[in-house]
Amino acid sequence: MSGLFGSLSIALSGLSVSQQEMETSSNNVANANTPGYSRESAETAAGAPVVYGPLSIGTGVVLQKIESLRDPILEIQLNQETQQQSSLNTQLGQLEQLQTQFSSSTSGIGADISNFFNSLQQLAPDPTNLALRQSVLTAAGTLATDFNNASSSLQTQASNLNLSVVEDVSQVNTLTSEIASIDQQISSLQDANEEAGPLVDQQTNLIRQLSGLIDVDVVQTGAGGIELTTSSGTTLVAGGQSFALTTATGAGGNQQILAGAQNITSTLTGGSLAGTIAIRDQEIPGVTGQLDQLAAGLSTALNTANKTGFDLNGNAGGNLFTTPPTGGTGAAAAMQVAITDPSLLAASSDGTVGSNGNLAVLAAVANQTVVNGNTPIDFYSNLVFQVGNTTSNTSADVDAFTQILQQLQDQRGSVSGVSLDEEASNIVQYQTAYQASARVVSTIDAMLADAVNLGIDAAVQ
Amino acid sequence: MRVNPNPMPDLLASLNQTELAAQQAALQISSGRSVNEPSDNPTAAALLIQNNDEATFNAGYLQNLSAINGQLSTADSTLSSVGSALQQALSLGIEGANGTLSDSDRAAIVNQLQGIQSQIISLANTSYQGNYLFAGTASGTIPYAANSADPSGVTYQGNTGVNQVSVGAGYQIEINQPGSQLFSAAGTNNVFLALNNLITSLQQNSGIETAVTSLNTASSYLSAQRVFYGNAMSQAETQTTYLNAAKLQIAQQQTALGGADMAAAATNLSQAQTDTQAALEAISKIGQDTLFDYLK
Repeated sequence: MSGLFGSLSIALSGLSVSQQEMETSSNNVANANTPGYSRESAETAAGAPVVYGPLSIGTGVVLQKIESLRDPILEIQLNQETQQQSSLNTQLGQLEQLQTQFSSSTSGIGADISNFFNSLQQLAPDPTNLALRQSVLTAAGTLATDFNNASSSLQTQASNLNLSVVEDVSQVNTLTSEIASIDQQISSLQDANEEAGPLVDQQTNLIRQLSGLIDVDVVQTGAGGIELTTSSGTTLVAGGQSFALTTATGAGGNQQILAGAQNITSTLTGGSLAGTIAIRDQEIPGVTGQLDQLAAGLSTALNTANKTGFDLNGNAGGNLFTTPPTGGTGAAAAMQVAITDPSLLAASSDGTVGSNGNLAVLAAVANQTVVNGNTPIDFYSNLVFQVGNTTSNTSADVDAFTQILQQLQDQRGSVSGVSLDEEASNIVQYQTAYQASARVVSTIDAMLADAVNLGIDAAVQ
Repeated sequence: MRVNPNPMPDLLASLNQTELAAQQAALQISSGRSVNEPSDNPTAAALLIQNNDEATFNAGYLQNLSAINGQLSTADSTLSSVGSALQQALSLGIEGANGTLSDSDRAAIVNQLQGIQSQIISLANTSYQGNYLFAGTASGTIPYAANSADPSGVTYQGNTGVNQVSVGAGYQIEINQPGSQLFSAAGTNNVFLALNNLITSLQQNSGIETAVTSLNTASSYLSAQRVFYGNAMSQAETQTTYLNAAKLQIAQQQTALGGADMAAAATNLSQAQTDTQAALEAISKIGQDTLFDYLK
C-alpha cells in the first residue's frame, strides 16, 4: 500500500516487531538461570517489497521466527560424556566405600595373618603352656572373625546397591514417560508449523537427566519426533510412547532390570545404573571371591598341617578351622575356628607332650604358596593393591570426564547461555527502535491531520 | 568468539578442588600417614602389609630369643654344677684308691659319693618354668628315677627328642639336649654308670682305679657336651643384635612407605588455604555487575 497509510502500517510493523523483540529479550532475562534453557533470538527480515513499475517499496519489518540457539552436536556429546562420567562417579563412590576394609596395614586381615603365624612361633619355646596355646586359638579366632566381617560388609554393600537399582529404574521410567509426552506435544506443534523451542529445551534437559541414569541414544525421526534407545538397542521411547523398565529379583537375590521379558542388566554401558551394576555384579563378587580363596587356602593348609601332629593328649590332631565349602565360595563368611580346647592344638610331632616339632609345620604354611600360587600375605597384599589401584584409576577417570563435561558445558554456554549484558544492550536497542517508530507514528498522524485539513485551516488537529 | 556468560560452575569447580586439596593435606597431618586409603598409593599400601608382617615376626623372634635365653642359661649353669660335683667325686675316688684306707674309711667315702649321686640326679631333674630341662621332649616326665636294680643306679624316663625354635627367617636353634645324651650316654660316656661303678668298686674294694679312670672319661664327655649350651646362647646373642638392627630398618621403611612428610603436608595445607581464599575473592568479584546496573 502506498501513501501515508502505507507509512503508518510500516511504522506499526516496527512497533509491533520491537514489542515482540522486547518480549523475546525479556523471556531470555527471565530464564537466565533456568537449567537447560537455550536463549532465543528474534529473527526479523524486511517485509517483501511491493513493486510499482520501476519502484520497489518496502513494507516494513516482519518477525520471521523466534529461534532457540542451540548446537545439537554439543547436546549429543554432553549426553554421551554425562553417561560415562555418571557411571564412573557412581563406581568411585562405591569403591571408596569398599576400600575402607583394606585401609590399615597394622589391623585387618593382613595383620591378623601375621599375628596368627607369629603366635605359633611364640608357642615353640614352651609348647605345653596353655596360656600360649590359647593365644594361638585367640589369634585364629580374630582372623576368622575378620574374614566373616569383611565378607558380610561386602554383602551389605551389594544389597544396598539393589535398592539403588530399583530407585534408578523408577526414575528412568518417570523421565521416559515425561519425555514421551513432551515428544507428542512437540510433534503436534511441529505439525502446526509452530516453534517448539522451550519444549525442546525441556526435553533436552530431561534427556540429560536420563543420561545420568542410563546409556541413551537419541535418534531424530521425522517431524521433530525422537526415539530413545539404550546403546544396546532396548527401546525406551518411540512414537510418542514410553516403554517402562521393570525390576525383578533374580537368582542370587540381586535385582535384575527387565525390558518386557528380556533381562538387560548386563547390557547397560553408561549412567549410574551401569556403574551400580558393574560394582554389584563384578567388583564386589571379585573381591569377595578373592577373600574366599584366601580363607579356603589358609584353612585347608592349616588343617592339613595340624593333622600331621599330635595334641597334648597324645592324639592325632584334627581340623584347626572348619572345612571350607567345596569350590571355595562362601569360605570367608563361613570361616570358624574348629577347636576351643587349647590342648587340642597339635604342636607335637612325635606324640610326646613336650615336643614342638609340628609347630614348625603349621608355621611353614605362611611361606607356602597355598593360595592360587601365592603365599597368604602376598595374596592379601596383592588384593589390597588391586582394590587401591582400581579406586585410584577410577578417581583419575572421573576427574578427566568431569573436566570434559565442564568444557562442553562452557561451549554450550557460549552458544546457548543468556548473557545479561547482551540482553541489556538489546533491550536498549529495541526501546530506541520502539521510540523511533512511535515518533514516526505521531509524525504521520500530524501529516494525516495536515492532509485532511488540506486547504482548510485547522479543522482537524 | 562469544564466551560462556555463566562462569560460576567453573569457578565453583576450582573452589572445590582447592578445598579438596586442603582436606587431604589436613588428613595427612592429623593421621601422620600419607597412605590413609589404598588408593592414595596402591603400591605402598601393598608393601606396607609386607612390612607389617616383617615387623610382627621380628618382634616375635626377639621375644623367642629372650624366652629361650632363660632356659639355656639355666641348663648351662646346672651342667656347671654337675661338673663341680663330678670333680668332687673324682677327688673322692682318687682318695679311695689309696690302698692304705680302712674299710670304714672307704665306707665313709662311699657315703659321700652316694650323696653326690643323689645331688646329680636332682640336678639332672632340674625344671624351668614347669618343664623338665633334660627329659628330651617328654618335658612333663621326671628324667631320672633312682633304680638300684640298674647298673647305672638310675632309669632314664625321658626321650631323645630335641625341640627347635625359630629365631629368624629360616633360622632355627635347638634349645635342649636330652638326658640320654648328657648323663646316660652310651658306653664309656655314661656319667651315672661310671659314678655307680665307682661306688660299687669302693664297696667291693676292687677295680677302684679303673672306675676312677672311667669316671674321668665320662666327666670329660659331659664337659664337652656343655659346649652346646654355650654355643646356643652365643648364637642367640648375635641374632638378637642383628634383629634389633633389622627392627630399626623395618620401622624406617614403614615411615618411608606410608608416613606423612609433615613439612610438605603443612606447606600444602597452607597453599591450599591461600588458594581457597583467592578463589573465594575472585568469585565474589566476578560477574556481579551487568549492563542493567548501568541503564537508567
